[in-house]
Amino acid sequence: MLEIKNLHVNVDGREILKGLDLTLPQGEVHAVMGPNGSGKSTLAYVLAGKEDYEVTAGSVTWKGEDLLAMSPSERAASGVFLAFQYPLEIPGVATMTFLRTAVNAVRKARGEEELSTPDFLRLVRAKAKLLKIDIEMLKRPLNVGFSGGEKKRNEILQMALLEPALCVLDETDSGLDIDAVRIVAEGVNALRSPKRAMLVITHYQRLLNYIVPDRVHVLSDGRVARSGGPELALELEESGYAEFGEAASGAAA
Amino acid sequence: MDLPVQQFRTKAEQELLDLFTSAEKALPGARNKWVSDLRTKAIEAYGRLGLPHRRIEAWKYTDLRARLADVNPLLKAEGIAVGEAELKHALGSEVAKLPAYRLVVVEGDLRADLSDMAGLKEAGVEAVSLAHALEKPPSWLKTALAQVNPREDDPVLALNTALMTGGVALRIGASVTLKKPVHIILLDGRGEPASTVTRNVVVAEPGSSAMLVESFGSLGLRGLQRNAATEVRIGDKGAIKHVKLQREGEDALHLSTWLVELGADARYDAFQFSIGASVARNQIYARFAGEGSVLDISGAFLMRGRQHCDTMLLVEHRVPRCTSREFFKGVLDGEARGIFQGKIIVSPGAQKTDGKQMAGALLLSEAAEFDSKPELEIFADDVICGHGSTSGQIDEDLLFYLESRGIPEAEARALLIQAFVGEALERVEDEALRDALVRASAAWLGVEFD
Repeated sequence: MLEIKNLHVNVDGREILKGLDLTLPQGEVHAVMGPNGSGKSTLAYVLAGKEDYEVTAGSVTWKGEDLLAMSPSERAASGVFLAFQYPLEIPGVATMTFLRTAVNAVRKARGEEELSTPDFLRLVRAKAKLLKIDIEMLKRPLNVGFSGGEKKRNEILQMALLEPALCVLDETDSGLDIDAVRIVAEGVNALRSPKRAMLVITHYQRLLNYIVPDRVHVLSDGRVARSGGPELALELEESGYAEFGEAASGAAA
Repeated sequence: MDLPVQQFRTKAEQELLDLFTSAEKALPGARNKWVSDLRTKAIEAYGRLGLPHRRIEAWKYTDLRARLADVNPLLKAEGIAVGEAELKHALGSEVAKLPAYRLVVVEGDLRADLSDMAGLKEAGVEAVSLAHALEKPPSWLKTALAQVNPREDDPVLALNTALMTGGVALRIGASVTLKKPVHIILLDGRGEPASTVTRNVVVAEPGSSAMLVESFGSLGLRGLQRNAATEVRIGDKGAIKHVKLQREGEDALHLSTWLVELGADARYDAFQFSIGASVARNQIYARFAGEGSVLDISGAFLMRGRQHCDTMLLVEHRVPRCTSREFFKGVLDGEARGIFQGKIIVSPGAQKTDGKQMAGALLLSEAAEFDSKPELEIFADDVICGHGSTSGQIDEDLLFYLESRGIPEAEARALLIQAFVGEALERVEDEALRDALVRASAAWLGVEFD
C-alpha cells in the first residue's frame, strides 16, 4: 500500500506539488488526471526517485517503509515501476541485454536466483507475445529507431518482466493511435492483480475506457482537488478541466 | 638574413645522442653498411630536429621535450623466463589465449622458444627476427625498411630507426590468406628502468590477406621508455587487419609510430586499444599509393589517474577513388587527458576521395580533459570529406532510466560507459578479439562479466 501525505516538491526551486495526499491500497487501480502543469508527471518522477526533484515536506510510505529514503534502484527492487512518458534511447545497449540486466538485478536484490539465459529467453518470448512485440526488435539497441507505440509497448514489457507491486504509468497513452492504446491497455490489464497497485496518470479519459480504474483523483495546482469513482473521469470528459484551473494552468505549466 | 642557429639541447636530448654513440657498435647490423648508413642518417635527422615540443603543431598537447627528463639505458636481453602465466599476467588472459601464430619479443629480443616461426613458414609467411635480418638484410626487407610511407620530419621515428634493436620482419606471400592472426607480443623485462626500441616490418604481397595483432604488455619493469614502430606495406588487392593492444606499465612512456602504405584495390582495417602507460603517443601515418583502396582506422582508449594518451593520425589521399574512415572513442577519468589529432590530406587530382573521421570522449570526472583537433586539407574538388568530435559526461537521464529498472547506479554507469566504448569496439570484426576487448573494458571498469 502506498501512502502519500502532504507532499511538497520543488523542481528548479519552484514548488510544483503543494501538499498532495493520496492513498493507494494494494490491488487497486487509481487514475490521476488533471490539467497540464498540475503536477502529474512530477508525482510520477518523485515516486521513481529522480534526482532533481526536491521533496521539501511530507512523506511517501510504501509497504510501511519510507520510499523517499530509497535510491531509484532500491525502489525498483522493492516493487516500484515507472512506465516513462518518454522512454529513453540508449545506443550501444541491446534491448535484450538491458532487459536481462534489469531482471537479474531486481531478482538479486529480492534475494531470488538470477535467471539463466535460456530461462530468461523463454520468459521474454512469452511476455513479448502478449504485447505483440517482435523478438527481433529486442536485438536492436534500446528504443533506438522504435516507433512511439513500440517504445510504450517496450515499457509495458519491462513492467511485465520486473513484476512490480506498484505500477506508475505516466501518460502511457500519449502519442498513440487507438490500436496502440488498445494493445498497451491489454498488456496493462493482464498485469492487474490483487497483489498489485497501479497509478495510471493521464490527461485524457480515453485510456480509462480500456483500463477501468477503481478510483479517480484530479490534480490541480499540486494537490488532489477531487476524488471519486470511475464516473468522475467521464464527467471530466464532458466538462473539461475548467473548474480545475485549466485556463490558469499556463502559469503553472 | 642569417640568424645564428641556437644549438641548445636539453639533458635528455643530449642523452639520446650519447645513447646512440655508446651503443652504435653493438647495435644489430653494425657491420652492414646499408644498415649503419640508415642509422647514421636517422640520428643526424634527430640531431637536427631535437625532441618534439608543444610549439610543433603535431605535438601541441604532448610536450615530449618537457616531459622527458632522463633517458634510461637500453634494455639488455637477459633471456628471462617467460611462460603462459607471465603472458597471461602481462596481456590479460583473454588476449593471451587468442588463437594465433605467436611471435613473442621480450626485452627487445624475438624469442624463438615462444614463437611459432615454423607454423608461419608453413602458412606462406617469411618471419624473421629483425635483429638477425639486420646483420644481412634480405632484398625484400631492403626495399621496405624505413621506406614505407617514410617521414623525414618525425624525430621519434628517426630515433627508432637509429636505435632499433629488435622486433620482427614479416613477408606474407602473394595471394596467401592466413587462417589465424599473427600475434606479435612485445613485452618489457624486469628490474631497473630502461628503454627499448623495437621495429616491426610487414610486407603483404599482392592479394594476400592477414590479421596482425601487436600486444604491448609489461612483465613489471619500472619506468619503461618504449619507442615502437611498425611499417606495413600492402600490395595491390591485399587486405590487412592490424590491431594494437597497449597495456604497458602505469609509469611507462609509450611512443608508437605506424607507417602504412596501401597499393591499389587494397584494404586496411586497423584498431588501437589503449589502457596502459603513463604517457602514450600513438602516431599513425597512412597513405594511399594505389587507386580504389579503403582504410578504416579506429580505436578506443580508457585512461584514469594522470594518464595521458595522444593519438595523431595523418591520412594522405594521393590518388583518386579511395575511402578512409577514422573512429575513436575515449573514456577519461581522474585527471586523465586524451587527445585526438586527425588530419586528412587530399592531394590535387585525388578525385572521388571519401574521407571521414569522428572522435568522441566520455569524461567521468571534472578534471579529465579531451582535446580534439580534426583537420582537413583538400586540394581536389570532387571529394566527400567530413569530421566530427564530441565530448561530454554521462547522461543523467539515461542513468536514471536504467536505475529505475533496478540496475544499481554503479552498474548502470558501467553499462553506459561500455555502450559508449562499444560503438568503437564493434568495429573489430574478429569475434574472439572483440570479445577480449569488451572484457578488458569491463575489467577496466571493475565490472564482473558473466
